[in-house]
Amino acid sequence: MKTSDVIVIGGGLAGFMAAAVAANRGQKVAVLTYGSGSLPLASGAIDFGSFENLPAHHPYQKIGLKNCDTAAKFFCDIAAQADLPYNGRLSAQIPIVTAVGTLKYSALVPESMDASRLADKKKIFVVNITGLKDFYAAMLADNLKKYFPDKTFEVAKLDVELLGGRDITCMDAAQILTEEILADALKTLPASDDDVIIIPPILGLEGNSLRAAIKSQLRAELIETTCLPPSPPGIKLQRAFVKYLQKSGVKIFENSKVIRGVVDGKTVQGVVVENAVREKIFPARKVILATGGFYSGGIVMRDFDNPREPIFDLPVFFPTGADNWSNVQLFSDKPQGFSMTGILTDANLNPIDENGAVLYENLHVVGANLGGVDKIFERSMGGIAIASAYKGAIL
Amino acid sequence: MSDTKAIFTGDRCLSCTSCMANCPVMAAIKDYRGPKLVGPAHGRMHFSQEDIETSLEFCSNCKSCDRACPSGVAVSTLNMLRRADYYKTHPHTQVEDMIAHGERMANLIRKIPFGATFSNVGMSFGKALGIFNKLGLAGERNMPAYATTAFKDKFNHIKQTATGKKIVMFTGCFVNDNEPQVGEAFIKVMNANGYEVLIDKGFNCCGSPLVVTGYLDEARQHADNNVARILDWKKKGIPVVTPCTSCSLMLKEEYHELFGEDKFHEAAQNVYDAFEFLEILQERGEFNENLKPLNQKCLYHVPCHLKSQAIGLPAVDILEEAGVKVQTADAGCCGISGNYGFRKDKYEISMKIGAKLFERVKQKDFDKVISDCGTCRMQIHHGTDIKPCHPIEILALAYA
Repeated sequence: MKTSDVIVIGGGLAGFMAAAVAANRGQKVAVLTYGSGSLPLASGAIDFGSFENLPAHHPYQKIGLKNCDTAAKFFCDIAAQADLPYNGRLSAQIPIVTAVGTLKYSALVPESMDASRLADKKKIFVVNITGLKDFYAAMLADNLKKYFPDKTFEVAKLDVELLGGRDITCMDAAQILTEEILADALKTLPASDDDVIIIPPILGLEGNSLRAAIKSQLRAELIETTCLPPSPPGIKLQRAFVKYLQKSGVKIFENSKVIRGVVDGKTVQGVVVENAVREKIFPARKVILATGGFYSGGIVMRDFDNPREPIFDLPVFFPTGADNWSNVQLFSDKPQGFSMTGILTDANLNPIDENGAVLYENLHVVGANLGGVDKIFERSMGGIAIASAYKGAIL
Repeated sequence: MSDTKAIFTGDRCLSCTSCMANCPVMAAIKDYRGPKLVGPAHGRMHFSQEDIETSLEFCSNCKSCDRACPSGVAVSTLNMLRRADYYKTHPHTQVEDMIAHGERMANLIRKIPFGATFSNVGMSFGKALGIFNKLGLAGERNMPAYATTAFKDKFNHIKQTATGKKIVMFTGCFVNDNEPQVGEAFIKVMNANGYEVLIDKGFNCCGSPLVVTGYLDEARQHADNNVARILDWKKKGIPVVTPCTSCSLMLKEEYHELFGEDKFHEAAQNVYDAFEFLEILQERGEFNENLKPLNQKCLYHVPCHLKSQAIGLPAVDILEEAGVKVQTADAGCCGISGNYGFRKDKYEISMKIGAKLFERVKQKDFDKVISDCGTCRMQIHHGTDIKPCHPIEILALAYA
């Protein structure tokens, strides 16, 4: 096995971003994934949270604001190359309409979901697609009215012959429905230049071309919502990254579960993949750990008081201990203890021990396995993922 | 290792839908309810009542779902176990019997003088007369033509120098009956690396076509026989190496997932994919690097069943040593998935899945298409009129 300049462990947003940045810098990169990563389950919108009053151990303190900004631009560029335009910037707060009709504000959003275009429209059509599960236009419209009491709402039912076969998800509809079917159906709505049509994300699984083609045949604005997984906007983003990585010569090895590192003192020389029968060493000059947090197995906890990082056995920051592990009020104004659990690093994103000493000099920790803050609570999950990945890859 | 037995993995399913997002059959048609519902969900629920999920028939066992799963659920194997249950109470059709028992058919034909030739002629007539269609086979396809002489019969005439080092080649049915030239290339490469190649005529078909067609009891008999032999070779310190990635996946992983006993795992440790074996030689400094530079460009379709093995892409690194520029096709599953695409009612699905790969191959920006899997090669040939070869045939050229 040839030695890679960089091995990235993990195929979620952080892993793919790190691989893309490293490849862009001319490095020979391999990505080891176990499972298809979180992107097909994600909304596609990237939240950065706040940059104000950050605690000293906050990942943004290590990454630096300038890198966050460059990361956001790099991210948008990767997406744009796959014809998946994003709107926004680091400090933007762009609304998108969720599947239940609330507005969610994010820094970077797919152009197709940008709901700031709702503001100057008079009438909002919310489209119910016959046979599509988990999308309730009437409920969406009722909730959205609370944000826009002055606008007129109309729930429109479109039958695009999805019935027959299995229950149809947004992903299914996105694969089945053609430009002709969708455009013909949407053209039946009495929507003018002053109006907007809100539909679930069913406009293909690659880029923005299908939406552009349909939109050119309509007078009204056309906006996609979020949906339950599998999520077409997340799949589009994943495909944009995979396309970029393949074009850049990055090798993605699926089903490759990394079980430990090969280390010599403070240097990681490679990682060990365990398959059904034997182990295989993937040698590397640098390793980026993008294995995610609790949800993805990047941090595990067999014994309740002892969270572990399973590959390099890195120390895991566990600020609340078992006692304050969770906040029983899920939607309260306080973070969750378990969500703050993770790995602490120095400014190079090298993992550190309790005394702040660097454990491995060529191992960089990026994404959801970084500890210290509740990324869900502060809405910084995606931002920390791409910004830490960017920094980890340029070091 | 008992936790890798498929039935113990179903409860790890979190219903995250990653498998659905990556299932090529779901992308091709809406009749299939998908790996999540058919595998782990229904696989657990059916204990409560007699219940048959009819869309189970659409699973091609390409294993994209297993690779997509972040929780280690053996989704496709759960499907195959359910399929076997289904056939306990439902008869197999004639065509299912036929496509599951390619080995039996080939053995019968080889007993007849000129049997292979007559059979090939018969198959082209059968195709022309529409008999395939009536049987339930995809009439659009050629059935794989039998080689005049099976590899195992050719083998005795291949001269090898006895060295101290030996491996046993698990030929696989397709190499034995249809493409013996792959076997010859395999021997040339292994000889050049100082290994004498043995074959074991006591091996059966690995059982993959039986498993996917719901003949699980027969597959178990094959597994028991093959594994007993592999363990015998293991005792003698002789590894079993195969150029077929579906055979190696079956021997290394699926036997244990399906049947669970420790002996399957023990035997698996003595089984290697051909290029995996060569790469291990390379890591030990034992690989023969005296290669003639080939200066060609290959487009590599990586078979699904190779991706599942988590052994990297050893053929790429090794062929690059011989001056071959290898570009991976990166176009997903080819769609044929063993005998799946040979069924009349699955032909269109199979071609729809393969469309992206065909488009890539038709760009023709290479000298040769390579793929380790025999049925992938057939599918590419059928979909593009460009005939691929096994990467080991390319490597053999470098050992002049």
